[in-house]
Amino acid sequence: MTASAIEVQLGPLRLKNPILTASGTFGYGLEFADFVDLSAIGGLCTKGLSLRPHAGNVPARICETPAGMLNAIGLQNVGVSAFAEEKLPRLRALGATTIANVWGDTEEDYVTVVAALEGVDGIAAIELNISCPNVEKGGMLFGNSPSATASLVARVRKATQRPLIVKLSPNAPDLVESARAASGAGADVLSLINTLVGMAIDAETARPRLSFGTGGLSGPAIKPIALRMVFQVARALPQVPLMGIGGISHLDDVLEFLAAGASAVQVGTANFKEPGVSGRLVKELETYCASRGVTVPSLIGRAHRFGQDREAGAEG
Amino acid sequence: MKSDHQAILVGRECFSPGLFSVTFEAGDLASRVVPGQFAMLEIPERIRPYLRRAYSVADANPARGTVEFLVKTVGPGTRALEELTDRSAVRLLAPLGNGFSNTDLKAGCSVAIVGGGIGAAPFPLLLRKLSAANVASDLFLGGRRAADLAFRSRFSGAGAASTHLATEDGSLGHKGFVTEIFREAARRKKYDRVFACGPMPMFAALAPIVHELGLQAEFSTEADMGCGFGVCLGCVIPGAEKPFIVSCTEGPILPPERIAWERLRP
Repeated sequence: MTASAIEVQLGPLRLKNPILTASGTFGYGLEFADFVDLSAIGGLCTKGLSLRPHAGNVPARICETPAGMLNAIGLQNVGVSAFAEEKLPRLRALGATTIANVWGDTEEDYVTVVAALEGVDGIAAIELNISCPNVEKGGMLFGNSPSATASLVARVRKATQRPLIVKLSPNAPDLVESARAASGAGADVLSLINTLVGMAIDAETARPRLSFGTGGLSGPAIKPIALRMVFQVARALPQVPLMGIGGISHLDDVLEFLAAGASAVQVGTANFKEPGVSGRLVKELETYCASRGVTVPSLIGRAHRFGQDREAGAEG
Repeated sequence: MKSDHQAILVGRECFSPGLFSVTFEAGDLASRVVPGQFAMLEIPERIRPYLRRAYSVADANPARGTVEFLVKTVGPGTRALEELTDRSAVRLLAPLGNGFSNTDLKAGCSVAIVGGGIGAAPFPLLLRKLSAANVASDLFLGGRRAADLAFRSRFSGAGAASTHLATEDGSLGHKGFVTEIFREAARRKKYDRVFACGPMPMFAALAPIVHELGLQAEFSTEADMGCGFGVCLGCVIPGAEKPFIVSCTEGPILPPERIAWERLRP
């Protein structure tokens, strides 16, 4: 079995394997160099980059919840210039496949950040964050309306030659419509899902545990929802390559998302708990394919050949 | 360099209900850790807690290859640790954080070490290092009641020149706050440095005292951590010179003047 058994092609984006790491859970990649061979994973999505450095929300910013966590970090990041000058050269030296995750308050902000990265070497793709639930404006605004999504994606599309990934919000009123809008406006790949808006309250004091009030829920708790959403978008838009995200930490999780129709996955919150998880999953997937004599592309979308017996007279 | 150690539980000591220490064999970690650093500990195969938890390293024995943690049971994570059986395996991501700066103190210097409740956890290793360098340490420990300080036996023999206790209910030592007995002592004796660890209210009371007396101080700050190595950005503390300090990588040991006390969540 050659290494190519685990290679995947997502539109114009060719990846050595389908295991990536999700934005906001992998810093700028360099923080993981002690734990993961960055050249061995399919790719890494950077912390969301904005035009200027951004301080983020006041603490408390995180709290643990059953099988997951809530965060309201508020997109703290070093800004696109510092990323390109200080982080990216080191990522290139380590052989990382770097996907720049980008956000802004206005369409103009997004376009400016993407344009600033256009002449820079070492970026494999752009991922648009149109779905951060933890900032007052921007982010969420673009993800919650298909027309706003389409307008933003169309403008960014003109600003970059690179593969363009749009990260969808599970909080959008109609996910399939959002997916259709992003794809129709020129997105090459869709990644889903971002976090779900949630809340935690201290039972004793009745005070919300996050200073922002609400936060984004992630971790194994959201996996069934993420899996359903990937399945649903894959069914509606079978020609659009998808990256699945949501509670992935075991090989079975990867196999399930591939079966639901994702061509690749992003590992998120599990990076906090097990910093080496992405490298481990690459090895486990390689072993799985070799022992079964299968390729990753042959594992994509397999769940769709089963019917859904929804009328069968069962109650409950 | 930090790494993810497989560690085996080889010893435990119970001081009072819910107050205990656990000792793990953890390869070369014991010889690499410095006072004030911490570990992110995971008990495998548990969905609750989901994330690892940060624990200050209380002591390290390089000859035996062991590290020890002082723990107070407060929730599901600490309870799971308390119930861990002998020879159980855990994962320790360590050593993390910056540690106290104690190595520049010359023989003959004197320092004060101030701990509130389980905040005293990182001090046995610090005391032994200071004692080995012939730095005299006055230890100040405070708690709500005597049971909160049941671990104080763990400090005898660690090398404190003197030990001073305070409890809010007066059941042990001075009746009142540890910051009060520290202030009295610090007015009479000029300390070269103050090391402190405890809850945020203790720090908030201590910061103006060390400022007023012109003392150099280092606080081991407390913040909920998601990862422990600078990635999740959940553990930030409002900074005096910049919006936020990332506690796990820029700290947890911070001089009080770098913290924007007025911007702390009450």
